[in-house]
Amino acid sequence: MLLMFEDQHKEHLSFLTQVSPDVVKEFCRISMEFIRKGTNPKIFQGAAQKLNVDVDTVHHGVEGLMYLLTESSKLMLNEIDFQDSIMTLGFDEDTRQTLLEIYLQNRREIRTILSEMTMDLPHYHNLEWRFDVQLASRSLRRQTTPTVLFKLHTEDSGVKDTTILQTDPVNLLHLTKVLDEALQEMKSPYCRRIVRNIK
Amino acid sequence: MELPQSMQDALTLAGESIHIPDAQFPSFVEVAFRGVINSNERNAIENLKEFTSKDPAAVKEAYAGLVAMVIEAAKQDTDIESLSSLLEDCKFPPERIKEVSETYQKNKPALQILLGSVGRTPAHIVDVDWRLDYYVKNNHMEKVNEAVYLITLKTELPSQKELQEVQFSCSQEQLQDLVGKLKDACKCLERISQG
Repeated sequence: MLLMFEDQHKEHLSFLTQVSPDVVKEFCRISMEFIRKGTNPKIFQGAAQKLNVDVDTVHHGVEGLMYLLTESSKLMLNEIDFQDSIMTLGFDEDTRQTLLEIYLQNRREIRTILSEMTMDLPHYHNLEWRFDVQLASRSLRRQTTPTVLFKLHTEDSGVKDTTILQTDPVNLLHLTKVLDEALQEMKSPYCRRIVRNIK
Repeated sequence: MELPQSMQDALTLAGESIHIPDAQFPSFVEVAFRGVINSNERNAIENLKEFTSKDPAAVKEAYAGLVAMVIEAAKQDTDIESLSSLLEDCKFPPERIKEVSETYQKNKPALQILLGSVGRTPAHIVDVDWRLDYYVKNNHMEKVNEAVYLITLKTELPSQKELQEVQFSCSQEQLQDLVGKLKDACKCLERISQG
């Protein structure tokens, strides 16, 4: 799979073909910083003065790189596809190598950031359990009722929640058995075949 | 087994054949037990038409005394001997003691299940449903490619007829973690039940 660039995007990045790989590296550093924390226009002015160019040029250069890095990470481009994709942008060999290194170094982090933006369901975080034997209550003395208490920690878009649940030994065994079967299902030939075929 | 004096006095009335004739006593006892166990039959006593006592207030009190005794005995897990001696103290004739003891013995497990369900407990897990999805991509990212389980725990509360649900998702690793912890709990129970 190759990344397609629009003309406007190519134009924005063309500024970077005229500078040294060190400057490209610095732009990449700034781009990563912005991907992590959001943009900060003050930095554009400083860089523009130093390089003696328009603020807009710097601005477009950084945004072009941010787009390049996020889009490639989004598509999970492999090494060869990434190199082929940037071939058309007019960078020299050294700069292309620099871009590739930066892409490979940061792909994991960018995907983590992207995954934080995706829709989230309440998901499992932790389970604490304890075993109690209920001996008496106000309405019934002399019991020996075994109970397993659970504190289920879940998380939804960073918001943590806990649920207190209980069960008895028979249901605990049942619960464990059914969920273990669910886990084994992923290892079944059918699921493995599907997984192999979705690339 | 001990009861407060007022309850003992009421129970004494239930043993007297002036208030509850011998012929009606078995159904009187039956209705008292049913009324405790089954909330739909709580007022079944009203349908016992044969009661032609001159003193309806005494019948009412006798019923209250018997019901209080039934609940208290089940709550304390009282055995037949101490129940009998209590009824003797309340001047029950032997055949009535036998009638009450037998009915008590028969209904004790149901009474104790009912009493055990009184009070607040956390939601009780009775079943679980799961669904396995393969998460392929989303609007921000391609090639996510990981297994996602959707787990629904079915829970029960004594006060509610319908089952409730607790739903959450988890990745394969998270489910591994969850199952591992549940297995630990199972092992712990096994050890305790063997020791």
